[in-house]
Amino acid sequence: MALKFMSDLKNIVAGKPIKKLVLATAQDQQSLSAVLRAWSDNIVEPVLIGDKEKIQNISDENGYNITGLRIIHEPDTDMAVEMAVRMLSSKQADILMKGKVGTSTLLRCVLNKEWGLRTGNLLSHIALFEVGTYHKLIAVTDVAMNIAPNLKDKIAIVNNSVSFLGRLGYTMPKVAVLGAVEMVNENMEATLDAALLSKMNQRDQIRNCIIDGPLAFDNAISLDSARHKGIKSEVAGDTDLLLMPNIEVGNVLYKSLVFFAQAKVASIILGALVPIVLTSRSDSEQAKYDSILLSAAASK
Amino acid sequence: MVDKVLSSGKRYRVAVAWAHDKNSVGALYRAARDGLVEPVMIGIPERINEICKSMSLDPALFPIIPAVSETEACAMAVSLTAIGETDIVMKGLTATDKFLKEVMDKENGIMIPGAVLSYVCAIEIPSYHKLLFITDPAVIPFPNLDQKIAMAEYAVDMAERFGISKPRLALIGASEKMSHHFESLADYAVMCKMADRGQIKNCIMDGPLDLFLACDRKSPGIKGVETPVNGDADILLFPSLESSNPFYKGLMLFAQGELAGLIRGTIKPVIVMSRSESENSKYYCIALACLMT
Repeated sequence: MALKFMSDLKNIVAGKPIKKLVLATAQDQQSLSAVLRAWSDNIVEPVLIGDKEKIQNISDENGYNITGLRIIHEPDTDMAVEMAVRMLSSKQADILMKGKVGTSTLLRCVLNKEWGLRTGNLLSHIALFEVGTYHKLIAVTDVAMNIAPNLKDKIAIVNNSVSFLGRLGYTMPKVAVLGAVEMVNENMEATLDAALLSKMNQRDQIRNCIIDGPLAFDNAISLDSARHKGIKSEVAGDTDLLLMPNIEVGNVLYKSLVFFAQAKVASIILGALVPIVLTSRSDSEQAKYDSILLSAAASK
Repeated sequence: MVDKVLSSGKRYRVAVAWAHDKNSVGALYRAARDGLVEPVMIGIPERINEICKSMSLDPALFPIIPAVSETEACAMAVSLTAIGETDIVMKGLTATDKFLKEVMDKENGIMIPGAVLSYVCAIEIPSYHKLLFITDPAVIPFPNLDQKIAMAEYAVDMAERFGISKPRLALIGASEKMSHHFESLADYAVMCKMADRGQIKNCIMDGPLDLFLACDRKSPGIKGVETPVNGDADILLFPSLESSNPFYKGLMLFAQGELAGLIRGTIKPVIVMSRSESENSKYYCIALACLMT
């Protein structure tokens, strides 16, 4: 089963108990706005941790109604993040979201050995796109977190992503390992890793998905293009998940889809005990809202 | 195979470098008598005549070109073949490295420019339902990816000469699982993908596979491994000389294997036989060289 529209995520969320989302350092207008909208749509039950006075000011300025919302006052950024993470590791909440705090501070707390959210898995980023020109949603990883993943990292990224897609209801997602070409070329390491990932998948060493690669972007997403090149592949033209060779390719693809193709995007961090919403300031309010929706759908 | 060569009706001229050993002489005599080849013996005429006498063979079957040293004999055999005077070159009683040095000589040798020098053999074993091609049990100690690809292509080409189209090629490992402990397995995965994408042609390739998954038709079902080779391999590609060489010798020693093998990567066929091969195997090597000419 594959999802077609971002709004399909709402059906998944509607079938689950409402998840508790902790917004760490909540004094951030954009995050607050998306969280409040998700709250009013019954997607999550937010807990705000941060500077209460600032949160109140932002709400007043923007006309947000925060009556009835649980707010924990903690003006110190580091303390607020730690408190948020501790809430999640002690299972008092289900989703972590970054507010007005640097990504590195947040991740340091997430990776804390005593009270963090480590699972032993690699942390990886996944973005889900709704693009008008593709027949279903397409997930892309890793466009923001792992810079130059080696083979072992790629295996971990695929496993994170496949188990995430499983929580969205996918049974055997089709994974395309992206290269510049669909041929194996000794001088392009991405194509060699792709061959290894394919073989490990054939041998049941990477499970619950169908992997093929290398595939060039065109034959990963277009059946015509794959046929034209004579590629026999279950994945080509029907990809659910695109595995990027490195962050540069991933990041440019992400931004191309958003800016050139007006794609809708939702993204979260995988590999921790709970989904983490870690959007950037350049993401639209809609993208932040959709990311919250995605985290709720993917929450265990 | 022998029938196939005979039916071509052609007699191939074989230049034999330092033809001073009974083994080669015996096999050549039989091949010449059967009409496969016309040998040209290169070495010391008296010694060659002596060997023929001691084996009660008619030395008239063997024209002799005199040479005073091993090196001279090797160089002469190779250059005769290079200029087309002979079709095949064969090693006699000389060290393999000396002989191959002449074969690989940049000016006077008979290498295909840029080609990988390797060895493929076909083995007939009573306990297997068909011929089994093995590469490389003789030349390349630890083949890298490019060498493995060349080995696969040579073996496929040889199998095709035997009339086997789309041979099943198994890349042999200790198990079918990928593991970072064995470097060769990464090459195997890459080669399988290259075969998928048509970069290696005309074969059905899978690996890593252990020997059972490659050659025992019951094994894939028992182990639950889906493989297009499916216990019916025509070709086994080994990761190193240390694994392939004991395997092929084991077949000869314990499983009544008879082999025909040949050096590949050369413009003309090159026969290098090991002393431990049976008389039959040596004869088959000569026939194979004719087939591959």
